[in-house]
Amino acid sequence: MTKILLQGNQAIAQAAVKAGLGFYAGYPITPASEILHELVDKKTVKLLQMEDEIASINAIIGASLAGAKSMTATSGPGFSLMQESIGLAHMMEVPLVIVNVQRVGPSTGMPTLPAQGDVMQCKYGSHGDYFPIVFYPNSVDELYQYTFHAFNAAEESLSPVILLSDGYVGHLYETIETKEYEISKRTLPPLGTSNRHFTGLTHEGSLPATSDPEIHRKFIKHLEKKQKKVAKKYNGYEYIENASSDTLLIAYGALSRVSYHFKDDFAIYRPVRIFPMVEDIKEIAGQYKKIVVMEMNAGQYVNEVERMLHRKVHLISILGGKIDLQEIWTKLRRFRRDT
Amino acid sequence: MDKIETIQEGYVTKVITHLNYLKQERLPTQWCPGCGNGIVLKLVCQAMEKLNFSQKDTVVVSGIGCSGRSAGFFDLDSVHSVHGRAIPVAEGIKNVNQALNVIIISGDGDLLGIGGNHLLHASRRNTNISIICIANSIYGMTGGQSSPTTEQGSRTLTAPEGNADTPIDAQAILKAHNSYYARTTVFHFNHADKCITESFKHEGLSFVEIRTQCITNDGRRRGFKNAYEMLMSYKDTFKINDNTDTLEHNEIGIIR
Ligand code: SF4
Repeated sequence: MTKILLQGNQAIAQAAVKAGLGFYAGYPITPASEILHELVDKKTVKLLQMEDEIASINAIIGASLAGAKSMTATSGPGFSLMQESIGLAHMMEVPLVIVNVQRVGPSTGMPTLPAQGDVMQCKYGSHGDYFPIVFYPNSVDELYQYTFHAFNAAEESLSPVILLSDGYVGHLYETIETKEYEISKRTLPPLGTSNRHFTGLTHEGSLPATSDPEIHRKFIKHLEKKQKKVAKKYNGYEYIENASSDTLLIAYGALSRVSYHFKDDFAIYRPVRIFPMVEDIKEIAGQYKKIVVMEMNAGQYVNEVERMLHRKVHLISILGGKIDLQEIWTKLRRFRRDT
Repeated sequence: MDKIETIQEGYVTKVITHLNYLKQERLPTQWCPGCGNGIVLKLVCQAMEKLNFSQKDTVVVSGIGCSGRSAGFFDLDSVHSVHGRAIPVAEGIKNVNQALNVIIISGDGDLLGIGGNHLLHASRRNTNISIICIANSIYGMTGGQSSPTTEQGSRTLTAPEGNADTPIDAQAILKAHNSYYARTTVFHFNHADKCITESFKHEGLSFVEIRTQCITNDGRRRGFKNAYEMLMSYKDTFKINDNTDTLEHNEIGIIR
């Protein structure tokens, strides 16, 4: 264990190397570029700067199939470009780690300013049905730790795992203790060892394509089951109980750091594995009269929470990349027990 | 009857050994009768056999389209990626395992249209992969829309009065970055064989543009009676010129 001062983005890159990263392909984008920079000249990592994010995601798919633990990192605009091939990786069952350091959107939005507008894109960005595992840490230390988890979960589920961050956490400097974490081994035999056919078409065994609905249904079920099973190993969340409050405040990523200021007035729940949602939230939420989700978008996770809990959930929406304690408190105070 | 089949099977596996590169149970292909794609498949197998490529050292990658189905026929590890992205997938593979022969077989729409940007940059990086571009000048699978290599004036589903756009100059792209470029046709079988074999031997990025007929969604609309007529039109149109550093529009040859 050593203590070092690291930036959030650097922490991801350094942890990735420790977790066995063998190949990285990426395209420069603020606020994620430091991950690419940090990997330059790392002896154990083959690094390619690609022409765009579409090339990047497809290069890491090829690299992963060829036998290397592979990763790319981007922000919202690049993440949008990657969506088609994220679906491909789910269909072909390729382990990958994809980092998205969110910034204000839509479109070019406000580069470098943090946002949480890609939450639903993580889950539903590609066409068709798939069940991604998404982690969203809120500190440099946690980014470091969850980079390991992301690589492990990718290997265990044979799927692309998304490590979500934001311009705030990604650019944050904190002192962390670098611990040794367990590292999952590769299970997928590399290309050049057999006669397998990896395809984005619905397939089964040696059948490279089919229009049999039964085969497709079976495959989608298999994806869902597999993802849920692996996700269970990483039930990451933080819960700060508050017996004197009747309101549960839910926040994640950058905003969850702010939520700690209000722990005297509210109970706080912070999901780290944001998808598939951790089931424990049901029991926790059951103890509170009101549920409030605070997020840096126009209301995304709030709908997921509502759907999970089958009850009304309030939203505090923080838009524009500005985190202002006074402003947040103004919106939040009406949920206090004494008002 | 049983006996004859056994003999024929024995004959196929013993004599035409290049067919061993294909998954026998997947033959015949689902391509239209008279489609040129099968000729390309045979040419690629022949070149693989000549160079002793094996399951242990070869990977085939395809994109999307009729020709995108190519990868699935090979009795090797193969990848059928999304539309236009065969090149970056192949680059990822090659960068991780230099010992693999990484071969792309895909169409002109896939490699030069939607995926054109990747060719531009892969040739700049000069990644040691071989790209076999089945250039049939049409989007066959989707019904016959104009493609990047459709000739000016050629009638297509989306250009019934004749295509107005200039066909893409793949030669110029590859030459600009000193990569291997060859143009050939499925009619010029021996020439095509040489172009593909040489491309597999080439160190660095190689690109073979092989002119191929799509009778179903191109030939018919252009007045060809059958695939044979289309095939013979390559004989009349293209002349071999292996001693030049710039191929004219009606020439086929290898530029290194
Ligand atoms: S549509 Fe054209 S390219 Fe496609 S299989 Fe038929 S002939 Fe070949």
